[in-house]
Parts: sequence; structure tokens; C-alpha cells
Amino acid sequence: MESRLGFLKPFEPNGSQERFGFMAIINLKKKEVQSKIVYYGPGRGGKTTNLEYVYKKFRSRIQTEMVTIKTHGDRTLFFDFLPIQIGTIRGYDIRIQLYTVPGQVKYESTRRLVLRGVDGIVFVADSLAVRRKENVLSLKSLADNLASYKKSILEIPLVFQYNKRDLTDDGIPLLPVEWLEQDLNSELKAPYFEASALKGPNVAQTMKKIILMTIDSLRNDLT
Amino acid sequence: MAQQRDEDNFRSQVEDRLDHLFQEDSPEATEEHARLREHPLKGLKAILLSIDWEITNGTMDSLLNEIKNVEYIYSEDKIILTFLQLLGSIGRYVKANKGRAHPNATRVINSVYEALEKVALTEGMSRAEKEKMLLEEVANFKKLKEQVVLRKVEKKEPAVSKGAPPPPAPAPEEKEISVTESFLPEETAVEARAEARFAGMSPHEAFAYALEEIKDVIRAEFRALRAEIKLWRESK
Repeated sequence: MESRLGFLKPFEPNGSQERFGFMAIINLKKKEVQSKIVYYGPGRGGKTTNLEYVYKKFRSRIQTEMVTIKTHGDRTLFFDFLPIQIGTIRGYDIRIQLYTVPGQVKYESTRRLVLRGVDGIVFVADSLAVRRKENVLSLKSLADNLASYKKSILEIPLVFQYNKRDLTDDGIPLLPVEWLEQDLNSELKAPYFEASALKGPNVAQTMKKIILMTIDSLRNDLT
Repeated sequence: MAQQRDEDNFRSQVEDRLDHLFQEDSPEATEEHARLREHPLKGLKAILLSIDWEITNGTMDSLLNEIKNVEYIYSEDKIILTFLQLLGSIGRYVKANKGRAHPNATRVINSVYEALEKVALTEGMSRAEKEKMLLEEVANFKKLKEQVVLRKVEKKEPAVSKGAPPPPAPAPEEKEISVTESFLPEETAVEARAEARFAGMSPHEAFAYALEEIKDVIRAEFRALRAEIKLWRESK
């Protein structure tokens, strides 16, 4: 069976489903491409808020349900899940699965589990000045967890989002973007967005960027 | 060459789909933010956001001072005033206990503030709706208070068994949520006093005592009801 997507390597598996590179799923029989993107970052940084914003704001066009499991304290216990259907392109149904990980330090094993099979990462950094150390620790944990799946943070599609930038209007001390870049992105040189997951600026742009990068990566991986 | 064109075409199709999917069509969120920028609650919100991460004497003092400022502004609005008193009570408790405070305390503070913001900023909200929201937050407050008391009791009564290892050094004692306020307070203050009185009584004595207390409460309720009926008749 030959892929109708020009850049996909044709393959003829016994089953109709194959996993490539970072584990995106191409189902030739069903004509589906599924990709997994994970929002990662320190606790209370705004990962869930990102998905909630997109879900509420573009609800009429997304047409799927967001699944979220929270503790009493309104914190993510396991993960949030928001599937998005991009639609059919050249006969293939493109589906993106968006996940968040629980940010609290104690849920390290859950974070590792959610990262399994990930194709792209949005690292949601907290811009609050008091959260500088937590950002760095969380990025390190991301690199370690990816390494446990033999993936490199240097290679996986990655977008940084410096969240809560709107709080500067409220007089709350924030980390300058230059510091965030220096702390987190000086080696990775990944694209970044200054955003407010609560209010919306650059939330959709972040998501669009990571989806495009992930699909590009999938294409490169297959050619 | 043809494959490159194919790839570019595919990418641009995906981009088009994403542009359509994430097309902006409602400026609601930014409008709400703009409303708050000019509102008396602005300062209070800024402080609450900062204490989410940093609980120090400085931040808690700022919070309590700001609550007083806002109380002054809303001195004629009993509903908002009660919201602020709830915030003040929990704020004083968190200040006294800091890292030892019950983990739900900041959640309840945030919940009370969110309700307060909604009540203060939503145009055309009826009094009944406001009262309903207030009652929900009062219930949250009371629940938190119970949790604090329960945790304190649990800390004081560790299970002791023969041969068990010595208990760890006691942590600094957790202070309870202050119950000296004058709003719902009457009731919660009575609860706290009762707890103190029951300490050291036998179960029978405590039961008899509690029964008398219940009778007193019922009598007081009837007195209040009569007074309200009288007022209602006078207003007719």
C-alpha cells in the first residue's frame, strides 16, 4: 500500500499501523496521521490554562471534548487531553493529540509516562520572578525524561512559551525575556513566544507553531 | 523538485487549516481584563497572584492592608464586605502559619477572590445571585476551618503502641483560622469556644452540655425569627 502523502515513505506492514521516529502514528488503512504534542513545564505555570483557553476560545471549530483530571486543589493530577482534528489533507485525516503533564514535583513518574511517544513539546515557562529556579529544574527534568526514551531535547520539535507576561500590568515582578532565554534557551535556540494563557495573546500562535514543526519533523523523519 | 513542491503544498495546506481553526473571533477576555485594570480590586488581585508563590510577612501584610483599603471603598456594600472579611480571615491564618498552613487555604483564598471579582465586576447581577455566590464561599470557608481543626487534632493524637519508635520532634503548632471577626463569625466563634469547653469532659457530660447549647441556639433562632416577622409586619 502506498502512501498518498507525497513525502511519506511507502511501506507495507503486516498490520496497517506503523510508528515512525518520534512515534507519530500513520494508519494507512484508515488514512490517519496522529501526532502527540505535550505541554511541559513547572507547576502552576499555565499548561492546563493553555489548553483550556484554546478549548473555550475555538470550541465551535475544534468540535472535540477536552478531558481533564484535577485534584481538589484544582491541580492537574494525571494529564489533560485535547484532541484536535486538522481535517483531511490529500485524503489523510490529520489528528493532533495535545497533552499536559502534571507540574507538581511529586508527579515525576506521571510526567515520564505522558511523554511516551511524544512528537513535539511546548515548554510553558513561568515568567514570575520567584519561579526562575523551578523553570530550570523542570527543563532539566524534561531532558532527563526524554533521554529515558532515547530521545534528545536537542532534536525533538520544541517551542518555548514565556507565560504570564500580562502580569506586568499588575505590577508583579517578572523575569525579563532575556533572562528566560539565557536560562532556558541559550543552547536549544528553539522558537519562543511571550504569552498569557489566561488572556490569550500568543496561545494559539504557540500551538500553531508546534503543530507545524511537528508535522515538518514527521515529514523529515519519513523521507 | 516535484517532491519539494508537493511538500510545500502540503505544509501550506496544514497552515491554512490551522489559521482557520485558530481564527480570532471574540475579544471577550481582553475586555474583561481592561475592566479590571481600572477597578478598585486591581491591587488586591496583584497581591493575591504574588502570594500564590511567595508567602512572607511582607506579602501577607500587603494583602491585609489592601483588604482594609478595599473594605473602606465598599463600606456600604455588605456582600462585598463579607467577601473581604472572608479573605481577611484566611489571610491572617496563612500569615500566622505560612508554610504550615493547610494546603487548601490558598485554594479557598483564590476561590473567594474569584467569586468576589465576579460579583464586583458583573454588571446586572441580581442580589440573589450575589448572595448565592457568597454562601458558597462561606461554606468553603467553614469547610476549610473544619479541615484545619481536624488536622490539628490529628497532630495532637498520634497513635502510640508498645515498642514503636519514638515520635518525631513536634512541628511548630499550627494556628487556627482566626474566629474573632464579626460576620459569619458569630457562629464559627461559638464552635471554637465549644471545642475548648468540651475538652476534658466525659462523653455524657459533653452530650448534656451540647444539648443545652442546641436549646440555646434554637431559642435564639426563634427570637431572631420573631424580630424579623415583627419588622416585616411593620414594613407592610
